[in-house]
Amino acid sequence: MSLRKETVAMIREYARRYPSAQSAIIPALWAVQHEQGYVTAESLAEIATHLELPPSLIESTSSFYSMFLTRPEGRHDVVICVNAPCGLRGADEVLAYCERTLGIRAGQTTQDGAITLRSTPECLGACGGAPMMQVDHRFEENLTSERIDAVFERLRTEPAPHEVVKPKAVAPVKGEKARSGVEGARPRARRTQK
Amino acid sequence: MAVVTDQVTLTVDGQSVTVAKGTLILDAAKKLGIEIPIFCSHPKMEPVAVCRMCLVEVEKMPKLQPACAVYVMDGMVVRTRTEQVQRYQNGVLEFLLANHPLDCPICDKGGECPLQDQTYTYGPGASRYDFPKKHFDKAVPLSDKILLDRERCVLCWRCTRFSAEISGERELALIQRGKDTIIGTFNDQPARSEYQGNWTEICPVGALTSRQYRFISRPWDLDRTATICPGCSMGCNVHADARHNRLGRFQARENLAVDDGWLCDFGRYSFPSFQREGIERPRVRRDGRLEEVSYEEAMAAAAQSLRRAGPATAGWASPAATNEELFLFQRLLREVLATPHLDHGRGRGEAATALEPDDAALPIADLERCDHVLLLGGQAVIDAAPVLHLRLFKSERKGVRVHRVDDARAALEAVPAEAQAVGIVSSLGRKPEVDSLQGKLARKVKGSVRRLLVPDGPNGRGATDLGFGPGRGPGYASLDGKAGRARPDWEAAGVRALYLFEASPLHDFQASGEEREWIQRLETVVLQRPRPSPLDDLAHVILPGRAFVEKAGTVTNMEGRVQRIRPAIDAAVVRDDWKILQGVAQALGADWRYRDPDEVFADLSRAVPAYRADRIGERALWSERA
Repeated sequence: MSLRKETVAMIREYARRYPSAQSAIIPALWAVQHEQGYVTAESLAEIATHLELPPSLIESTSSFYSMFLTRPEGRHDVVICVNAPCGLRGADEVLAYCERTLGIRAGQTTQDGAITLRSTPECLGACGGAPMMQVDHRFEENLTSERIDAVFERLRTEPAPHEVVKPKAVAPVKGEKARSGVEGARPRARRTQK
Repeated sequence: MAVVTDQVTLTVDGQSVTVAKGTLILDAAKKLGIEIPIFCSHPKMEPVAVCRMCLVEVEKMPKLQPACAVYVMDGMVVRTRTEQVQRYQNGVLEFLLANHPLDCPICDKGGECPLQDQTYTYGPGASRYDFPKKHFDKAVPLSDKILLDRERCVLCWRCTRFSAEISGERELALIQRGKDTIIGTFNDQPARSEYQGNWTEICPVGALTSRQYRFISRPWDLDRTATICPGCSMGCNVHADARHNRLGRFQARENLAVDDGWLCDFGRYSFPSFQREGIERPRVRRDGRLEEVSYEEAMAAAAQSLRRAGPATAGWASPAATNEELFLFQRLLREVLATPHLDHGRGRGEAATALEPDDAALPIADLERCDHVLLLGGQAVIDAAPVLHLRLFKSERKGVRVHRVDDARAALEAVPAEAQAVGIVSSLGRKPEVDSLQGKLARKVKGSVRRLLVPDGPNGRGATDLGFGPGRGPGYASLDGKAGRARPDWEAAGVRALYLFEASPLHDFQASGEEREWIQRLETVVLQRPRPSPLDDLAHVILPGRAFVEKAGTVTNMEGRVQRIRPAIDAAVVRDDWKILQGVAQALGADWRYRDPDEVFADLSRAVPAYRADRIGERALWSERA
């Protein structure tokens, strides 16, 4: 599966923005993940070609950051922050409510493939609206059971964000705050080699 | 007013030491003979300070500092063995060993393992951890040469840094992070680097091991011989490690002027080609069949046939033969048999083009001091001497512009007129082209233009220096119109007998089909070689000689450095090649009485004064300016 023309153009554009192509690896990875939903070895190799960097460096970077997915997950990515401020404002209850409502544990995907639920002990940076969760890289703050129900209702039917091409969504323009960073244990497939 | 110097004085463990600015605490301590334990630090790589083993106390600094990454300052007071330092060293080792499998009894590194040594010296006797160790894949093949044990890895990054900073291939990388970090190649593809053996040498634990040396020996059971790699004319210094008279491995033996401490895989893993299997005796063809005879009989038979052919004899020598052997063989052919038909090498016509001493040859290490280097022939030159790539990459990192070009025209354009020091690197076969390029460049640029030509074989340079070709005698002496013919012309020149002197399976005769047919028709073929060869069928006399790793002598590398090789395995049953050559000469009536290779060298040095016994290990000096 090779990358779409638009994605390749974005990767090339990122490479031009920085003095070193190495700086464009993360934006390029985002571009790929937003197109395909996750990042495969083939797309890593493609990024390497477009950035003229060794592929090992791309894998090194993508595997360092847990928000780059290596296999397909649910259409929507829901991450509950359980860091201290959210915890003080009832994040554990929020998480328990989500698990009960969706009928899955954190780390799992609903039967219909709509939602992958995760929790992260690392702060997502929206303590002012605690308890909060991150839905497809966007924040939902001051969570209540009604709010959560409404979000899940919407996600059940909405297509995955990467199916709607949104080229602007990830461009790290100077001065703009990066609003992304999904944390959570995401073990890679066990690496074996014959 | 204080005098400004580039020297700083500091105190390490109460002793005062003065070192250059920009020295690391680690190296300043080393100068005093104080050892600071390290894993990640490597003298040829940038500091990363990831292993935390080298923490020391520095006065006025709030926390312990990594000695491998902190530069000295004037008046600095460093303490390396305080109670706090020792507590940290204990702690770091306890952490490093928390998940280390401690499978030393089955680990190839056991006995020469920095982790083992430092645990004994600085570490705690026992671990306080009693939870299960984290498991990773063991014995993962990174390539057909290297296995990676991810449990043993302490993540010092030396191999990944080698891949980035020394070879520049960036094949190895750190994958994942934190406790899950592993070393690997992209998408688990087999590594393709030509320098992988070096990873095993710099690995401070048994994580990266060589498949060839797997379970072969313990380091203390190895007999170590300092010699030269037989792979190519780079002349990298190696330790040949043998056990029970079988070679187990080649290890780098750092010579900053030549190999800079690295080897290529072609050379490093070439030694099985030299391993002797069984005992072989000389053979003579009688009634179409090869019969085993004594050396004396075989030499007499060879002499008898060669005498018949006399000046219609041609002699071919491997470019892996020693200078001493080449000198004797050359005398045998020219003086005893009175034939001018000498040649060496794998038929590339090198002997015909190299007709003068390479006086202004660029020393390998001086590549770093050029500002422009032309690699004329690109990868083909590197393939002929792979370690050159590491030197060129190092030079590039220092700011040298390396131009990989295929033809002389592009080479001439690549170098600007203001260049100060230009180096041309190419193969000896392209000498005429390099000669003219060098002349044109000398007119174009302000600075100096020197060249480094890569001959074929570990002693291709020695073979031309000693006149083992049809056009020039020893030391490029003129032959006064008595020049002979090169190998391709031997048939036309009416050659009736052939004396082939093989010395290495890596640089053997390699006859074409046509050439084989011609050899088949010859009245005499004497074959002196270290191991069975495809030419055995055609030979009338077979004289088993010694392999490169079984003999003593000298070889000359591409830059003209005369280096000693020593027998790493004992082949007492096989006669020394120089003795065989002397035996044949004596059987032909020559009065030769050499008792050892050193006496041959003394004679050789009279014929070729550039080769001096007191300068072995140095470059041969052809004139004062070289």
